[in-house]
Amino acid sequence: MSISKYDLNEALKKQKAEQIANGETNLNENGEKKLDDVTRVKVLSPGRQVFKRFIRNRLAVFGSVTLIILFLFSFVGPLFYAYGQKQIFRKYSSERVNYALAKENTAYNGYEVDGSVELERTVRTAMNSNIKSMIVLGEDVRIVFGKEGDPYLIRKLGNEVYTVGTAETEEVCTIGESVTSLGIFNPIKGQMNFKGNEVDGLEAALKKAVTKKTTTDQEVEFEGVLYSVKKKSKIEWEVTAVMDGLNYAGDEKDAAFEDAANEAVEAGAADFTVGDAEYAVSYGKTSATVYEILSDTPAQVYSRFIVDAYETGKKLSDEFKAGALYNAYTTGKFEADGESFTVKPDGEEALIVYDADGKDYAEFTTFAVRRYSGEDSMAFDLKQAVAETIVEMQAEGKKSGKMNYQLPMQDSETGVVARDDEGNVLYNDTEIEITQRDTGEFVLNCDQVIYIIDRFASPSKDHILGTDGDGFDVLSRIMYGGRVSLMVGFVVIFLETFLGIIMGGLAGYYGGWVDMVIMRLVDIFYCLPSMPIMIILGAMMDAMRLGTYVRLFIMMAALGIMGWAGVARLVRGQILSLREQEFMIAAESTGIKVKDRIFHHLIPNVMPQLIVTATMGIGGVIIMESTLSFLGLGVKHPLATWGTIINSVSSSSAMAHYAFIWIPVGLLICFTVIAFNFVGDGLRDAYDPKAKR
Amino acid sequence: MAKYTIKRLLYSAIILFFVMFLIYVLMYNMPGGFLETKARELASRPGANKSYSEWLADLNAQYGMDKGIVLGYFTWLKSAVTGNWGDSWAWTLPVTQEFHNTVWYSFILSLISFIFELLIAIPLGISAARKQYSFTDYFTTVVAMVCISMPTFFLATLLKYVFAVKLGWFDISGMQGRDYGELSRFGQILDIAKHFVLPSITLIIISIGGLMRYTRTNMLEVLNSDYIRTARAKGVPEKEVINKHAFRNTLIPLVTMLGGSLPGLFSGALITETLFSIRGIGYASYTSMTQADIPFTMFYLAFLSILTLLGNLISDLLYGAVDPRVRLAD
Repeated sequence: MSISKYDLNEALKKQKAEQIANGETNLNENGEKKLDDVTRVKVLSPGRQVFKRFIRNRLAVFGSVTLIILFLFSFVGPLFYAYGQKQIFRKYSSERVNYALAKENTAYNGYEVDGSVELERTVRTAMNSNIKSMIVLGEDVRIVFGKEGDPYLIRKLGNEVYTVGTAETEEVCTIGESVTSLGIFNPIKGQMNFKGNEVDGLEAALKKAVTKKTTTDQEVEFEGVLYSVKKKSKIEWEVTAVMDGLNYAGDEKDAAFEDAANEAVEAGAADFTVGDAEYAVSYGKTSATVYEILSDTPAQVYSRFIVDAYETGKKLSDEFKAGALYNAYTTGKFEADGESFTVKPDGEEALIVYDADGKDYAEFTTFAVRRYSGEDSMAFDLKQAVAETIVEMQAEGKKSGKMNYQLPMQDSETGVVARDDEGNVLYNDTEIEITQRDTGEFVLNCDQVIYIIDRFASPSKDHILGTDGDGFDVLSRIMYGGRVSLMVGFVVIFLETFLGIIMGGLAGYYGGWVDMVIMRLVDIFYCLPSMPIMIILGAMMDAMRLGTYVRLFIMMAALGIMGWAGVARLVRGQILSLREQEFMIAAESTGIKVKDRIFHHLIPNVMPQLIVTATMGIGGVIIMESTLSFLGLGVKHPLATWGTIINSVSSSSAMAHYAFIWIPVGLLICFTVIAFNFVGDGLRDAYDPKAKR
Repeated sequence: MAKYTIKRLLYSAIILFFVMFLIYVLMYNMPGGFLETKARELASRPGANKSYSEWLADLNAQYGMDKGIVLGYFTWLKSAVTGNWGDSWAWTLPVTQEFHNTVWYSFILSLISFIFELLIAIPLGISAARKQYSFTDYFTTVVAMVCISMPTFFLATLLKYVFAVKLGWFDISGMQGRDYGELSRFGQILDIAKHFVLPSITLIIISIGGLMRYTRTNMLEVLNSDYIRTARAKGVPEKEVINKHAFRNTLIPLVTMLGGSLPGLFSGALITETLFSIRGIGYASYTSMTQADIPFTMFYLAFLSILTLLGNLISDLLYGAVDPRVRLAD
């Protein structure tokens, strides 16, 4: 019979049965069973004795039950719970938003007509001011010059539509008082280089006035004209004269031109024609310059009109806009994006575009209604309704008004319109408030129904403990958090105990210098302040941007390494006293190997104490872990632990408003730690009823 | 005794040397530390004439961080032993100055908590031991266990929620009220005292459980000893048995333990001070640690280790002094 299967109770009963069979009685004088009768007394194995003592302790039983429930809750609970730990919940909500902006468009936008023509940037940027001044002066044509002096021509096509393009021009003449440079005079050679026509005799007059020795600027009167001579360098003196009347820059024209030009300049006209030739006038301070327009190529069309497609959200290309604007006042036909359209002015203020079938396609107006972001995604009906309301408002002289409209719901995160399961856009009736700002534009405010993350939802049927700041379900976070927190507790304690047993076992068994070295190490680790070191480590891992799980492992390892000293001291002390006992001498004398003696004979005798310390230690580790996570230096979001859940509402305002999140978690931590402590206490009493508590 | 003390002191110094070396290694290797941040800041300043790595090398040289771990440690040790702890990087003050500014707040906070702890825990522990397995005993045991199991941060948050948010009796955090500057000298003291109430309660609740259990256990042991039985058998009144015979003997382990925890009054309450924004040494060191302020952190941790070692020494010496049966081995 092997010892492990030996049942003392059975053996005793057998022995008694034999005794009875041999004629002995198990009854006393009064006919009752004897006090020491085996059928009355049951001998319990040491394990069962411990168990019996343990379950007699009400607090320990309470602790065990709590722990079992907690384990089921954390490890089995999530399997039956509908939500995951990183599942984000959303809800429909109403929010006061700046929905749209309506305003009279004041800026002229350019659209490319001919891409091959290059426009200087300075010309493009000056377009708005040029067009505005053309409107004020009533000009139809304006000639402007780029940085390099290249001429460009702005033409009015019709109301609010202008083109700009390169032009080939020739300066014909100036009219009015103008300072003209005649050429350069060289006093050393006594020669004059004329730019244009030579003036006879001027050279001789200049020679007299300006010599080698002259240093200052001179004025020379010759044939009733005052010439001024300015020194540019020793051999270059610029000769200028103030000219009045019509002065040709190049070849002279006929009298018909001169009459027309003088008349135009007098009237301040920007252009005039003589015969087939077209002329543009550019006005300076005291004179006007007349250019002949030989040819011009429009590069861009500029307009204040803004297009609204009848189809909601339809994006119209720049090609379409350019084509429509360019042809609106001329042919009325254009092609864009492979389709042909017709365009007609509708009164002064609008252009209407029809598609090939003659149906209304789009409308150009100067009044723009756009989403507050500037996006053109509103229905044409809505735009028109807004325009009508604003017209009404203005007629009544009011600064604000209201209207009702069916607006689509929107997902706040993606900005995408919310849809039901069949893909239909969800609408809801919305009251839109229109207010005019001091700057003249109209703002459309409304309570828009949006689909947002359900943050900090109060406890309800769907979320028993509400949701947290990320829209996670708190109850599911607590379940998953429990897994990590409990696991950290067990892993750390296991590591601690493992290291402690090895080091303490070695120190205790061998003694001598091994003991000496290990115990000094124990002293050092005992002295290390663990909380500050964990904080430093946490800050270090923050700086290194380690991953969530890496952090978790490093934290567990660090906690384990910090904690082994206590276990080692305990094991060593126990072993020192056990070593001297008879069973160890027996083990030594039977020649059992050292390793087996330590791990099979000594350690099992230390086990009860170790189990007690470990059980009570788990509570401490859980508190440590949750404190670190609470400080944001332990496990990091989005991995849930009980500490991180509380950390997410650690700010004063969140703490005050969202008590339903952190109070349950905090209580759970308390319960867990209490339960571990009760069980540990109970185990200690059960293992050794006489031991000090 | 004197020989024993000297031996222990020398021994403590050796332990301290290695403890500080371990901590120095940890701090030395801290990436994204103060110097790197500072170098980055200096290098990105308008008109900076050095690159980030040049600045870093410069700063490392300035702060003695370019010598390698071992040599750097000895440099630190040398200046620390001569009393030169350097300037705190995070607080831009000499370390000792910042220590002086903060440690007294911590000490007062700890002292208040310590006194209340004694006044509450010891009587409760004794009454629990006197009536073992009674309702009082169970009640005390459960209360002690709850106090031990309470995480500081949760308790602090709970107290803040109840007394500051819901009842509005105290401020949520901080050490001074809004109108502190306008108060009289006495009013200012009262104001600070008021702000110390919640942190003190937190510390008291956290520490009360352990002492209660310790008292109960030791009292129980004394009550079960032979001389108590003898006293009772001789007809000494129960009151006298408890107060004279039992309590005095319970005091031996209590004094030993409490004496050992006296240096800890200076160590500051890291979590509590941080959560209540009490400008004590715990709060200062927490800020320093998260900002990798090496001089202050090294100073604080050295201070903490010295306090721990000192506590152990005092505890052992007291044990020999209080209990005549114990003789300390030389």
